[in-house]
Amino acid sequence: MSRMLRQLRPAGLIGLAILAFWLAMAAIGPAVAPHDAGAIVDMEVFLPVSAQFPLGTDYLGRDMLSRVLHGTRYTVGVALVAALIASGSGLMLGMCAAIWGGWVDGAISRTLDTLISIPSKMFALVVVAAFGSSVPVLILMAGIIYTPGAYRIARSLAVTVNAQDFVTVARARGEGTLHLAGAEILPNIIGPVLADFGLRFVYIVLLLAGMSFLGLGVQPPNADWGSLVRENMAGLYEAAPAVLMPAFAIASLTIGVNLAIDVLSGGRRAADER
Amino acid sequence: MTDRKFEELGSAEESRVLDAVRRGATRRDLMAMLGAGGMAAATAGSIIGAATQAVAQEPKRGGRIRVSGTSTSTADTLDPAKQSLSTDYARCNMFYNPLTTLDGSLTPRPALAESWDNQAATVWTFKLRDGVTFHDGKPLTAEDVVFSLSRHKDPATASRARSLATQMKEIVATGPREVRITLEAPNADLPVVLGTFHFHIIKAGTSDFSTAIGTGPFLCKEFQPGVRSIATRNPNYWQNNKPYLDEVEFIGIPDEQARVNALLSGDVQLIGGVDPRSVRRIQQTQGFSVFETKSGYYTNLIMRLDQSPGSNPDFVLAMKHLFDRAQMRTAILRNYGVIGNDQPIDPTNRFYFAGLPQRPFDLDKAKFHFQRSGVGSTALPVVCSPAAPNSIDMAQVMQQSAQRIGMNLEVRRVPADGYWSNHWFKHPIGFGAINPRPSADILLTLFFKSDAAWNESAWRNPQFDQLLAAARAETDDAKRRQMYADMQVMIHNGSGIGIPVFQSLLDGHSAKLKGLGAIPVGSLMGYDFAQHVWWEG
Amino acid sequence: MLRLVAARIALGLVSLLLVSLAIFAITSLLPGDAAQEQLGQAATRETVEALRRNLGLDQPGHVRYLRWIGGLLQGDFGRSLVNDMPVAQLIGSRLPNSLMLAAATAAVSVPLALAIGTTAAMWRGTAYDRAVSMLTLSVVSVPEFLVATAAVIVFAVQLRWVSALSAAADITSVGQFFRVFALPVFSLCCVIIAQMVRMTRAALIDQLRAPYVEMAVLKGVGPWRVVLTHALPNAIGPIANAVALSLSYLLGGVIIVETIFNYPGVAKLMVDGVAQRDLPVVQACAMLFCAAYLVLVTTADVVAILANPRLRHG
Repeated sequence: MSRMLRQLRPAGLIGLAILAFWLAMAAIGPAVAPHDAGAIVDMEVFLPVSAQFPLGTDYLGRDMLSRVLHGTRYTVGVALVAALIASGSGLMLGMCAAIWGGWVDGAISRTLDTLISIPSKMFALVVVAAFGSSVPVLILMAGIIYTPGAYRIARSLAVTVNAQDFVTVARARGEGTLHLAGAEILPNIIGPVLADFGLRFVYIVLLLAGMSFLGLGVQPPNADWGSLVRENMAGLYEAAPAVLMPAFAIASLTIGVNLAIDVLSGGRRAADER
Repeated sequence: MTDRKFEELGSAEESRVLDAVRRGATRRDLMAMLGAGGMAAATAGSIIGAATQAVAQEPKRGGRIRVSGTSTSTADTLDPAKQSLSTDYARCNMFYNPLTTLDGSLTPRPALAESWDNQAATVWTFKLRDGVTFHDGKPLTAEDVVFSLSRHKDPATASRARSLATQMKEIVATGPREVRITLEAPNADLPVVLGTFHFHIIKAGTSDFSTAIGTGPFLCKEFQPGVRSIATRNPNYWQNNKPYLDEVEFIGIPDEQARVNALLSGDVQLIGGVDPRSVRRIQQTQGFSVFETKSGYYTNLIMRLDQSPGSNPDFVLAMKHLFDRAQMRTAILRNYGVIGNDQPIDPTNRFYFAGLPQRPFDLDKAKFHFQRSGVGSTALPVVCSPAAPNSIDMAQVMQQSAQRIGMNLEVRRVPADGYWSNHWFKHPIGFGAINPRPSADILLTLFFKSDAAWNESAWRNPQFDQLLAAARAETDDAKRRQMYADMQVMIHNGSGIGIPVFQSLLDGHSAKLKGLGAIPVGSLMGYDFAQHVWWEG
Repeated sequence: MLRLVAARIALGLVSLLLVSLAIFAITSLLPGDAAQEQLGQAATRETVEALRRNLGLDQPGHVRYLRWIGGLLQGDFGRSLVNDMPVAQLIGSRLPNSLMLAAATAAVSVPLALAIGTTAAMWRGTAYDRAVSMLTLSVVSVPEFLVATAAVIVFAVQLRWVSALSAAADITSVGQFFRVFALPVFSLCCVIIAQMVRMTRAALIDQLRAPYVEMAVLKGVGPWRVVLTHALPNAIGPIANAVALSLSYLLGGVIIVETIFNYPGVAKLMVDGVAQRDLPVVQACAMLFCAAYLVLVTTADVVAILANPRLRHG
């Protein structure tokens, strides 16, 4: 086990470093960006990488590096919080459903089944119409859309653990729900739950592009990374950095987050062993 | 050019020259031939040049192409009255003909009507072409025309052209091939109105539109709404030699990238609705080209004159000077457009007034008017949407210019979903997008008349309204031209509409597809490509 | 077991009813109705009101809903507000296409994902495991429209190996089937495979470090047998659920693939329905997706219970 841990470490550290870098950019990106997000700096569009424009220019002749940096907080921040909401509420509801079972399980499951069947586009349109468009609304919206999926996974994990002997024993001891959830079930399902969180985070990053297309959330000239990919799609055939760079940014963030998660799971395993 | 030269000759003369060129006659033979007819040498020379060129580009018979428009849905229709999307127009034009057709300057030309006449622009007589038959063999008569036009007035038809049709007070057959139309009020543009697609001629009594029986260049072999239409050549078409293609399959691919990919992968041979940003890609691929139709299509800034800040004339002027028109044309349209001048008549229109001085991009003037307006640095939301093409980019370019004069424009993007019913001219500052209309009168009546339902900026000018009515009744072209020029000046100066650029319509096609031309009512040759193009396979 | 399935079916019907109610309520909250959307730029007060009367939209909401439910009980899904075609016919003409695409994608992605996830768990910490991890993460983080478009540019436009248009109607041979489905299936696999791989790996690793597995290893049971007979039955619940979630995406969520390949499926029907406020179509589609989702998650739960005897008494 400890051999495995040592092997995980360097990859995990890289992951943490990537994540820390993007978190820092989310905080200071606009300050270090060479230009405004909306500034049109060159008449030429889809310029290749150059010293003047390290990531080229976009479809309107704007500096891509600046646009990516300005977009970091709208991507990392929004997706991180929304994924926490989705996985957090999914996890709690899933454990409740597993521990209490019966009609509680049925009620939660049916409600979330209904939620997942409503087209997210429709949901987004209603939310924009009712609450207007702002970043908090966007975060909540993305969190709610991905809660049912997180719930399904957490519930299935918790149900399996809940049926095991040590939980039955604890229940017989008269332990309360909080103890069952926190001390007995959670430590035994956290690995897969975190793995699921890592993916949900990516899904939300990708969802943002669709949402902002519907007018929900970030307003031009700012844009999240997914939207940067989308709005520069015409540059794809000439392999313009304007379309590839934001995609690379998303991939690096995804890998960073998931490697960091592996570290967290690894650390937990080490603690278990002790 | 080629066409004009031939018009100088009679059609018999024309075919003699063409035949001779085809047989391989030398230039000297031809000069002798034309000279014998008493023609000056210079004229004869240029005609021979044109004829030689024409033979080189002479249409070939045969071939099958697949064409994609920009939409497809189960609402696709073969009922001329219900056509609502460009794909409906393209489909119906394969199967039906109108009485008149519009040419490159939107002037009406004979189609099923070979000539027309009017009294005071109020009583119109149309003479129908002889020898035209429907696809089932029935000859075209005045009854069919009366039926086809009258049905638009019946609310049960749910015609999209009802408002245009209500001006026709009486439609009667005055002979087997003659129809008389009496209007409620004079309209010199009636032949233009009747050249629009909703007024396609169908067989009297038609009520089933699951297939199409018209007089058009193609027969309807298959029609599956939301999937495809297949048209096969009408061997009895009334126009000589036309159409050239044996078969046309018409489909719709809504996604622009997907449409371009389908063209470049060889799955389709002609597509409409190409984004300027895809042009480079198509042109760089061997065997494909892009066809540009300059048109009156525009995306416009709307400043409500009845709400703040548009109620302040200085603010409106400041905004109109804030358009970096050249940059919008270059960066957004990739130069596939014409600079606009804050009035809606574009240079392809025969009533375009070229004498109106161009309003420049002038930050000093903009700043002067902006400061005089006293609006200050409060955030001004500009509503834009993917529904109004390019409006989001235009808003961002304007925002950049505005920053430089201390004006704080805030881009507010809203969904395309529901844009026209919920947002279009419902905000103090927003965007609209206006499709080309067949006549200046229709365009101005719909969007600029004081009491028009779509008077986007709530601009009211009684003098304009009078002029509009007078121009409609005027049959003297020179006088009309002057009236339309005056109206363009009024809109340029007074309305709350800013039109930075007119956008060209772009089609992509295989280089083997020949014969495309520009008819600025729409892309795909004014949606009427099918009878004009040929395939050099 | 039968009782569980029967109870699920009964509850499922309740869910479907809830879905139809929710869709109905949401649609009435949306700005604009079918009449306005149909007329679009051409809407004036008179034309909108006339069309509303025509479509029956001038009736109060609850009357329309009850009428619709009444029709549904007689097996009538109603007619589209846009083109007056029966909803059952509209869906019926597209559902086979969607099911075919979903089946083809599932047939490729599920075995592949399970194999990759299982091997990654067995050889966890190795270079193979890390490569699998990097690859699946990179693939899932590229936006779907980018993957699909890039695939079309390379394989259809440049190489011309396959068709850029997926017209399901034209299939007559195996070769053609491949030409039409290769790219859509590939694009969809990129999207859904990561979730299944990562859940399989994580759930198995969790079980592999459980005491009973270590016991089995100490007893000298081979690595494959440990995974397949000891760890897998206990991990199957979350894996089956991850598979169910991924597959549920294949019916309603494939709008991007349907758009880029011009593939006539139900997802596009629903998105168009939403844009047009075509309530009967949206309602039928949403209920269809809900039903598919319920079938999938119920199957996942049943599989978990069958594989893990402890859950039978739960």
